[in-house]
Amino acid sequence: MRILLDKFSKSFGSTKVIEDMELEVGSGEMLALLGPSGCGKSTTLFAVCGIHRPTSGRILFGDRDVTNLPSQERNVGVVFQSYALYPHMTVEENIGFPLMVKRVAAADIKKQVADIAALVHIADLLGRRPAQLSGGQQQRVALARALIRRPDVLLLDEPLANLDAKLRLEMRSEIRRLQKETGITAILVTHDQVEAMSMCDRIAIMKSGEIVQIATPSQMYNDPRTSFVASFLGNPPISFLKGRAEQGAFVLGENGLRLPLSALSGIPDGTSVSLGVRPEHFGTTGGIPIDGKVVFAETQGRENLYDVVLPDGSVLRSIQPVRDDVKMGDSVRWNLDSASAFVFAEDGRRL
Amino acid sequence: MRTSRTLGLVMIAPAAIMIFLFFLMPVMLTAIFAMTNMSTATGISGGAWQVTQGAINRLKTDMPELATGIAEPRFVIDEEGLAALEGLKLKAGFTTELRASHMGEVFPSRREAERVIKALKDRPSTREVKQISDLFNRSVLNTRFETRDDLMASLKKLGFTLTPAEQETVSKATYTGWVWTAENFRILANSPDMAQIFLNTAFYVSVTLLLFNVTYALFLAITTHYMPASTASVFRAIWLLPRITPVVIYVLLWKWLTWDSGFISMFMGQFGYPPKNYLLDSAYNAWFFVILINGFIGASMGMLVFSSAIKAIPQTQFHASEVDGASRWQQVRHIILPQLRWPILFVTCYQTLSLLASFNEILLSTRGGPGKATEVWSLAAFHTALNNYTGNLEYGLGAAMALVLVVVGIVLSLIYLRIFRYDTLISKPLIED
Ligand SMILES: Nc1ncnc2c1ncn2[C@@H]1O[C@H](COP(=O)(O)OP(=O)(O)OP(=O)(O)O)[C@@H](O)[C@H]1O
Ligand SMILES: [Mg+2]
Repeated sequence: MRILLDKFSKSFGSTKVIEDMELEVGSGEMLALLGPSGCGKSTTLFAVCGIHRPTSGRILFGDRDVTNLPSQERNVGVVFQSYALYPHMTVEENIGFPLMVKRVAAADIKKQVADIAALVHIADLLGRRPAQLSGGQQQRVALARALIRRPDVLLLDEPLANLDAKLRLEMRSEIRRLQKETGITAILVTHDQVEAMSMCDRIAIMKSGEIVQIATPSQMYNDPRTSFVASFLGNPPISFLKGRAEQGAFVLGENGLRLPLSALSGIPDGTSVSLGVRPEHFGTTGGIPIDGKVVFAETQGRENLYDVVLPDGSVLRSIQPVRDDVKMGDSVRWNLDSASAFVFAEDGRRL
Repeated sequence: MRTSRTLGLVMIAPAAIMIFLFFLMPVMLTAIFAMTNMSTATGISGGAWQVTQGAINRLKTDMPELATGIAEPRFVIDEEGLAALEGLKLKAGFTTELRASHMGEVFPSRREAERVIKALKDRPSTREVKQISDLFNRSVLNTRFETRDDLMASLKKLGFTLTPAEQETVSKATYTGWVWTAENFRILANSPDMAQIFLNTAFYVSVTLLLFNVTYALFLAITTHYMPASTASVFRAIWLLPRITPVVIYVLLWKWLTWDSGFISMFMGQFGYPPKNYLLDSAYNAWFFVILINGFIGASMGMLVFSSAIKAIPQTQFHASEVDGASRWQQVRHIILPQLRWPILFVTCYQTLSLLASFNEILLSTRGGPGKATEVWSLAAFHTALNNYTGNLEYGLGAAMALVLVVVGIVLSLIYLRIFRYDTLISKPLIED
């Protein structure tokens, strides 16, 4: 079922949290809401599931206007950031609650709970109370409770934050599989860009109540609209060089580096611009050689990560296949792949 | 670990001492008093032996002969009387003849004694006969004996020779001080008055508790929870008034409402009803108002406790249950009420005990009336032991009634703890030792 937020605004008293947001999630699509803490992700989710009424604007499920419909009538499953499990009920009762309030027969509830509990690997915990579970187990109970009544829309507020790395990977694909199989439209709120990129069809990046860019993961990665988006995606993150435009080239420092870039043609000389370079675009391959000194080296197993300080003091990050010939303090001359670098105006706009 | 145990004991000691002094001691004293027949009549120190009409009545069943015997005056010609007669300086012949021919004779009544005196050779005048007979009056009726032996000696002189068992019965019947007895409990168990008061109490406590202190309080707490914050606080403030108004004034307001010149009378007067005292008009009305008066106070207390308990439930649980499709009612039923078990237990327990023990609202409004219609156990105990019209305050019986209250209170609390499954409510301490 398609979800459409049309000119959606939300304020709490005099604090405007979200203003005139336009967001469409296609039927069966999984969208990630990605953004820093406090940017309004949970607020958006709460409006979609009907806990908060929009201050203005409309919310549509399919063609149905649900703006003023109470949560009970929206058929939305939500995994809350704080789980919101009912402490006085067992895991079984928690998961079965949405069915119980619909007056489904007890035997049916029991069977469906058993099925879904097996799916999220908590079949052996059904008799416990939330207080007797670990954080990750609680999260899976919350997920099972959201899924059990086969909602039209699934909203996940950081559902995997408390899981260990292995379980997180497992649950990622599990949620994605479930979502694809059932054709549920889903919105996933997360801080974790890897999660967003690996699980979702599209990503919407938010910044202080606004959607900065909405695109598929690869588009978003390869064609960020602002420096904020570029800095938000990618691990290890992109690094920026501050310089100026001069005759269609990016110039760093007084007599330092000079990079001819097509994006800079037509930009007046002397304009301050910054260059975003992802770590994988600075290394042994690439067109433009750059001198620097390694100030930080770390191995991540398959790859090594280096921070290189350029003569003017700015830092470039580099990620390369493992090698042990470079150590901290070494001077290096590595190459920059200028075709893959992004140029941003001073206000963050991509040029 | 041992030191932490000892430290715990030391820390708890002041509380333990307080509990002992202010809870256990009064209960123990009450229990002790309950086992006596202390009253205004017996006093609370020792007593004497006195053949009162009451004592004779008590003896009538066991020793009818003795009872009728000592109820009458008795006349004995003895040396003591003769000496007194000599002292009166009447004719010497009276003394001589009485000593010679009638010494030691016992007459069951004044008439028989006076017949003998009249027959004396020296012919005493009627006035003298009376004077003389008085000297030989050895009645014990209404005589006070400081010791038991004095009483027994007197009885012996009157010609009653008693076995030790009979002596014991007589002594018991005539003793005016307090004694140890279980009689109080027999009275409580057998008197139809007490049974009525007990039923009154059960009715009053259960109806007030169920309708107002718990149900209505819950209703208020839940409805205010779903109201906008500002409306809710106005509402709560209004419902707190009965609790914060001094009880004397609060009850006075009710009296103004219900008096024959009060608001209800005035209002009903508009429809042609004659004014009357609605509070004491009938037992039904009296109960109606007694329960309202107490219920409103109890409801506000429960409302406070329940409201704050509902506030303590995280907001997200309400959000989650709404999203899960629960209606308001299902939210109340499945989210709020189960998490209010502790406060409901607390309020039920606390209010049961305070309804059982407190009678000031009833005393101030109906005084237990009309008749004894709204007399409840604690009020009856107060009336019995501390304040009644006959003036004979029965401390022992009152204490026994109070003791019954304590026992009923403890038993009910234990039952509540069971019903609410207290063991599942308390969680294990987080810090283990
Ligand atoms: N009930 C409220 N009253 C006032 N301000 C609120 C309220 N709820 C949220 N806000 C504000 O709205 C902004 C967005 O909050 P929101 O919870 O949506 O953030 P978020 O993106 O989910 O952050 P996080 O990733 O930390 O969960 C925050 O600045 C927050 O302070
Ligand atoms: Mg949030």
